[in-house]
This record gives sequence, C-alpha cells and structure tokens, in this order.
Amino acid sequence: LPAGGVSLRLCSTRVPLEGINKPVIDRIIRVDHAGEYGANRIYAGQMAVLGRSSVGPIIQQMWNQEKDHLKKFNELMVAYRVRPTVLLPFWNVAGFVLGAGSALLGKKGAMACTVAIEESISDHYNSQIRTLLEEDPEKYKELLQIIKQFRDDEREHHDIGLEHDAEAAPAYSVLKTAIQLGCKAAIFLSERI
Amino acid sequence: VRCQLYSPQRALQVSAVLRRVSDEQKKEPLASSSQQQFDSHPADHQPEQEPQGPRPSYTGQGGQESEDYESEEQLQHRILTAALDFVPEHGWTAEAIAEGAKTLGLSAAAAGMFHSDGSELVLHFVSQCNTKLSELLEQEQKLVQLGEAEKKPTDQFLRDAVEARLRMLIPYIENWPQAVSILLLPHNIPSSLNLLTSMMDDIWHYAGDQSTDFNWYTRRAVLTGIYNTTELVMMQDSSPDFEETWRFLENRVADAMNMGNTANQVQATGEAVVQGLMGAAVTVSNAETSRAVR
Repeated sequence: LPAGGVSLRLCSTRVPLEGINKPVIDRIIRVDHAGEYGANRIYAGQMAVLGRSSVGPIIQQMWNQEKDHLKKFNELMVAYRVRPTVLLPFWNVAGFVLGAGSALLGKKGAMACTVAIEESISDHYNSQIRTLLEEDPEKYKELLQIIKQFRDDEREHHDIGLEHDAEAAPAYSVLKTAIQLGCKAAIFLSERI
Repeated sequence: VRCQLYSPQRALQVSAVLRRVSDEQKKEPLASSSQQQFDSHPADHQPEQEPQGPRPSYTGQGGQESEDYESEEQLQHRILTAALDFVPEHGWTAEAIAEGAKTLGLSAAAAGMFHSDGSELVLHFVSQCNTKLSELLEQEQKLVQLGEAEKKPTDQFLRDAVEARLRMLIPYIENWPQAVSILLLPHNIPSSLNLLTSMMDDIWHYAGDQSTDFNWYTRRAVLTGIYNTTELVMMQDSSPDFEETWRFLENRVADAMNMGNTANQVQATGEAVVQGLMGAAVTVSNAETSRAVR
C-alpha cells in the first residue's frame, strides 16, 4: 500500500476510485449485495413451496426484480473493488429456509414475510440515501440513483404483500417482528464481516 | 499503511531537532528564519501523530523555504529508503536506519524516531515493493488495453506477478528470514497482514477476477498460500537465479488451477447423481401408482 492515506490509484474500472470515501461505500455496497442475495434466496424458498399456487406468478415477478437488483450489485462490487461478506454461504441457506418456512405457513405467511423484509430493506435503503446525500450528492450521483430506484422497487413489493392479505397471516405481528429483528442483525453483520 | 510508530512527544522533539539540523545545513535559510523555526517549535508539541501538511510557521518565508519543507512522514520515508542500502551489512535493524540517516546528512540519533527492532524498515520495504508491483501490473494492463500485448492466461499471469514480486527480495535475500520474523511480531501482525491481503487482492484484480461470492475469499486464500510457500522455498534456494523457486511456483499454480477444475467436476458429478436419484424415485412412484390403479 502506498503510505499516505486513503487515496487509491486508478484502476481500469468504470469508476474512478480517487477521492471517494472508501470505507463508507464499501459497507454500503457489501451490505446491499448481501441483502439482494438474501432476498433472492428468500423468494427462491417461497417459490419452492408456493410456485404452483395462485400467488406463484406474483412471487416469480418479484423474484425476477430481485435478480436484476443482485446483478446490478455484482457489477457495482467489481467496479468499486468491494469484498463480499464472508457470510454469503450462510445467507444462502438462511434465506432459503426463511422463504420456504414462511411459505409453509401458507400464502399469507409468505406475504407477511415479504412485507416484513421489504419494509426493513426500504428503511435501510433510505438511511443509506441519507448518508450519501450528507457525504456528497454530486460525487455519488449514480449510486444514489440506483439505490433510490431499488428502494422504490422494494416499496412496491411491500405494497403487493399487503394487497395479498399479509396482515391476515397467522401471528402476523410476531412473525413480522422476528423477521425484522433478524434483518437488523443480518445488516449489522454483513456491513462488518 | 499507517503504523503507530512512537510516542508523539518524543518523536516531535526529535524531529524538531532533526529539522533544525537539516535546515541549518541548507544554503537558503537566513538567520532570522532560523530564529522563527526555533520559536515555532513549541507550537509543534501538539498531540497529533500525523502532520497533515506544511505547518503555518513555514509559509511566508520565501518560496524556497516552503518548497524545501517536507512533512515528517516524507522525512521518515526518505530515511528508511536510504537505510535499505545498509540492510545487507547491518540487517533490518536500527543500525541500518542510523546509517541511512547519516547519508542524508542527519545525525544518527534520527534512528530514535523509529522502533528499535527495525519494524518500520521492513514494513516500509514491503509497502514499497507492493506499490512497485501495482504499478507494474497497471502498466501491463495498459499495454493489453492498447492492444500492444497479449492478455495472459490466468495461471501465467499469477506466476509472473508472484515471480516479479519475489524477485524484489533478491538483493536482501540473505537477511529476509530476519525480516519475516520481524513481520510476524505480534505488534506488526495487523500491518503486515494488511499489506499481504491488499497485495493479493491487487494481483487478482489485475488478473481479471470478478467473483462476488465466496470464491473471492477462496482465490485470495489460495494465492496467499502459494505466495507464502514460494517465499519460504526462495529463502532456502541456492540454485542459479532461483530456478528451483520458479519451478516450485509453477507447480503450485498448476495445482491451484487443477483444484478449481476438480471442484467443478465434483459439483457436476454431484448434480448428475442427484438427478439420477430423482429420476429413480419418480420411476418407482409411477410404477407403484400404475400397479395400484391396476
């Protein structure tokens, strides 16, 4: 490492890495990547159980959007040279189990899980948007645009979940609280490890 | 890499003395400016570890003075770089640093700025080598992008990068075991680990690694293993131009590539087996159903 502070030499990536707040951007991209990866696995789990039911197409549609999100974060990760979280294999399994588990509670259970997750993710994206706006809206314009778009998508998923009777799910508030606590823990860990 | 080197008070006092010594040996300063430097020293005794830039006391003393001013960190770098010439003779020690300081016209007491175990000298050298490697890889990449060079296959790229980096040790290879032991001292481990991991990340980045899953870690871990073992072999190699070492390196890289292929094969086999079992299960259940219907 060149002794002399935070500046990085230019690599041939699309993003000039000079002058960006690397620790902050690192965390943001790492945790968002982990989040989209987890969301992917959750929807995969839900589809495995409910794929042939009436909500199958809806879940598939939301899953496809999450796949696009993940693809985008894969690109950003390479462009900003961010390391992925070590916990990815764990989120792989945990996400699938959560999706399948909530789907086994029925269609409303799956929708409740979706509502809980998407609400957590939207809040999380909002706080990241705030952080980036405080840092430097101009410098991070592209990243801000992407996160805003994704936040809107997740908001939409949240509303779809509510439309499909998520609140009528068994033990809705307990389920929702538990899932959101899990989300907070996952976010905390993925930012750091 | 920033290493916490020494207590700020001691360092600032010593460096203040050094600056006075080095400035007095320069032609430009007038008598009045020496006086100003003297008065500015009390202001220097602040609890800051790393000066951010030219101190206010040095501006407005004429262009030449502020050009000659260098930060403490730059001075330390110059001393350590000069000290490298004395490593073959004195090893990675405070003596080498003292000799280096003397060639810059400073007193041997300058070595007091650093730890007595030569840690900073080794870390400085490693950091310098890593920077050189990055620049080399950057140059190569530019040539490939301009179409003036062929893109190397991954195994050759890794081999060449590790070889280039290890060749930088050749002038100091006699004393390198001592350097390795210094890098493994507990208080140096965070810095040396940091330097090692960022070098591995650099090499993979230029090799074109775009993994965003656990492979990111696997690849870097494997390369670290290759690098460390090759380094150890190099320290005991007495063949002409270290050909044994490079052959060892080639074999290890080939092993790593095979490991990747083997992993893929295992996965493919596993998937085929699972599909076979599923097919068998479906066949059996169909047979049962048709028997029940009859």
